[in-house]
Amino acid sequence: MSTTRATPSTSVPRSPTTGEPVTTTARRNRLGVWLLIVSDVTGTLALLVAYSYLWSLNVNSAWAPPGNAWATLWPFWALVAGLVVATLLMWWGLAGLTAGNRGRLVAAAGLSSLIVLVTWIGQIVQLSTFPFGPSDGAYASATYWLALVNAGHLFTIMFLVVAILNRTRMGRIAPDNPHHARLVAMWMTWICVAAFLGALFATTMTVSPNTNSPSFGTFSE
Amino acid sequence: MSDTAVIHEHGHVPQPVQHGKPGGILRHTSIVTGLVSGVVLAVIAYLVGGMLMPQGTLDADGIQVGINAQIAATYIAWVVGFMAGIGAFAGPIRWAMGHDLTHDDAEYMAGKGQGKWRYWKYTTDHKVVGFQYLVISMVLLGLGGFLAMLVRTELGATWTEVFDPNFYNSIIGTHGIVMIIAMIIVVTGPLGNFVVPIMIGARDMAFPRLNALSFWLLFAAVPPLVTNLMLGGMRDGWTVYQPLGAQAPVGMIGYQITIITFAFSTGIASVNLITTIVTMRARGMTWNRVPIFVIGIIASSIMGLVWFPMFQYSQVFALSDRVIATSFYIPQMGGSVWLYENLFWLLGHPEVYVIVVPGTAALMELMVVFLRKPLFSYKVAVAGFAGIVGISSVVWVHHMYMTGWAPAAGYPFMLSTELISIPFGFLVMVMLGTIWRGKVWTRLPMMAVFAVLWNKVIGGITGVYLSDVPVDQYMHGSMFVVAHFHFMLMGAGLFAAMGAISYWFPKMTGRMLDERIGSIGFWTAFAGFQLTFGSMFVAGLQGMPRRVLQFDDAFNVSNWLSTIGAYTIGIGMLVFLYAIVTSWRSSVLAAANPWGAKTLEWQTETPVPLENFPVLPVVTSDPYGYGVPDPYDEIEEQLTDEDATVGAR
Repeated sequence: MSTTRATPSTSVPRSPTTGEPVTTTARRNRLGVWLLIVSDVTGTLALLVAYSYLWSLNVNSAWAPPGNAWATLWPFWALVAGLVVATLLMWWGLAGLTAGNRGRLVAAAGLSSLIVLVTWIGQIVQLSTFPFGPSDGAYASATYWLALVNAGHLFTIMFLVVAILNRTRMGRIAPDNPHHARLVAMWMTWICVAAFLGALFATTMTVSPNTNSPSFGTFSE
Repeated sequence: MSDTAVIHEHGHVPQPVQHGKPGGILRHTSIVTGLVSGVVLAVIAYLVGGMLMPQGTLDADGIQVGINAQIAATYIAWVVGFMAGIGAFAGPIRWAMGHDLTHDDAEYMAGKGQGKWRYWKYTTDHKVVGFQYLVISMVLLGLGGFLAMLVRTELGATWTEVFDPNFYNSIIGTHGIVMIIAMIIVVTGPLGNFVVPIMIGARDMAFPRLNALSFWLLFAAVPPLVTNLMLGGMRDGWTVYQPLGAQAPVGMIGYQITIITFAFSTGIASVNLITTIVTMRARGMTWNRVPIFVIGIIASSIMGLVWFPMFQYSQVFALSDRVIATSFYIPQMGGSVWLYENLFWLLGHPEVYVIVVPGTAALMELMVVFLRKPLFSYKVAVAGFAGIVGISSVVWVHHMYMTGWAPAAGYPFMLSTELISIPFGFLVMVMLGTIWRGKVWTRLPMMAVFAVLWNKVIGGITGVYLSDVPVDQYMHGSMFVVAHFHFMLMGAGLFAAMGAISYWFPKMTGRMLDERIGSIGFWTAFAGFQLTFGSMFVAGLQGMPRRVLQFDDAFNVSNWLSTIGAYTIGIGMLVFLYAIVTSWRSSVLAAANPWGAKTLEWQTETPVPLENFPVLPVVTSDPYGYGVPDPYDEIEEQLTDEDATVGAR
């Protein structure tokens, strides 16, 4: 192995901390976000596995909430719709930015952050108005956590979208350096998928197919 | 943009406005502010929790919901408070406010001009983070080892009961999880951080701030684990099967918070390592020129990244069952204990390879140096690592043969578990092939290769026995299993780490390790290890169950020998630690490349400068060309000969 001097170039926007072209750091950041998504996919999978597993087992016939008071379904889909609209707005703004229209991303990020805020409030309202408590059986537990994880995801997105709005306003995100906005839009797209899967599970897996569940005992001391 | 900064090969680079002095608020934060902030917030959470939470309310398992929530809030407040106090949230807030870092900010955060104080701060330099990981892994190994001594004291004193049975069980569980965490980080933490970026010719990790975040999250995760012993302990082994975990005292919450926090730390570290290796390799370092240690680190990181969230969620649900009375694992409320076991072992078994793979890769890396031979069949080694990554995701059920869960799944999982011995065998074969007909330079790091090969073969073969459903029916839950996994995790993992740390010690510390004392410690620990766990195999074959305080007299001799062996390990480890500490303080100064190795980390000066290389290297050959004449040497020789001829004329 030997060493030699690399050729400097100054014609492209550069990272102020490392001096590399921002396209280089953007490539690196994009892989980092993909890997974070992979990690979050596994976590979400753990939640969905828990939901579907307990649904299929119906242990001690205790899957259903008391009085079969299932959660109302439309709020799940309304929240997904809110997320999808916010995400599409971000991609629309990003397309405008890359075409040289920074104002479009400012408008899109502003609208998107408002929609995410409303969606997040909607998620909190859904959590507090479920017709059951978290301790009312396995369905209640799993549904609470679907909603809690979605609330966590929405909160993260809210921070990110507001940051993008602010940075675009200040010119930090510009047509020749749109990368952070793209990363946030990528993350939001995954969160849409996660929320969609949650809504799908909540819609299609209510009454357990296992109507003759054996007793597994209580394991109490 | 107000100014420019000169940044190595990039010349003048425009800078954003510098807000205040470089480093901003991080100039005022350190471990001290982190500890103060963490403790204050934890106390507030405890007091407020005590006022708000309904004390005395029992959940379905008879656990007090109020006290659970109060303790959980205290631990969460500690983690959040500590991270806030040390400055972990400053970066994201600055970014959101549009205050981008300047080059001066980045240099301050990397510890420039801060002397030794940088080791106590939210420092981003990968070398500092490597040292921080080294120290915390030694502390954790010391703690876990001390608890192991207590366990062996109890089991060796067959004529009396030394500890209260509940406390004894807590020691077992805490020893287990402390050692698992220590072993996960002991190679990837110090060496993955310190060595890998230099080895691939990079100036730092891809995400320096995430690097600091991963370390300090780990730091914050330790106190909840240690304090569980003061809150009733975790009495159910490191696996904490449900519903035992749900019925345990509140100390269990410490374990759960630790795992949840540690999983964040590991995930972030994995993202950082993989991104660094994939995107920041030096020019010319194609994938077939990547040092095998780097391949091992990436394999381990992939397994950690993909499977740790399963483990994390297993504990999130367990904590949720205790704190908000959900019923993921409470059967009378529709939960299932098998759900826990599946989620737990989905990481639990790949985690064995997360531990063993980096150590094995480190030994492969160093053995070529001490044998002066190319690595035998580099591609087979890579295939071995890839095979382990792939198959490790489909073996977890072998931990559940005896649980009654899906008996029909036992046989396919028996097959997959036996299959994983093939890629694992690749690695052993590559090591043996490299040793074959090599001239051994007998230095301490190379001794670790022989020690680990021995341990790995024993651990591997007994693992094949245990993967068989019929054998497992007899051996399950016995001391045989304990001996087997110690041969893998400690025998192959820890001894490999000792060899790897000995090898890179001169580069990390700038001083040579005292190999005489180090070797005495190493071989003493090795001898003690064989006695401890060899005897444990015998006890297991005789039928002694694990996790018991009292047992039949038939097992006395095995246990006496195991205890003598364990104390011998303890003495050996202390001697090895003494060698490290004294050499670090005052040993002979190391040259930049004392082993004559060819990988990049040895081509830069010692101590390694802040930005690793004066100019970024370009790789022109593979890293294992030992014994192959260097074409540049030949040209140099020819030129020298020509000069001599001209001179003679």
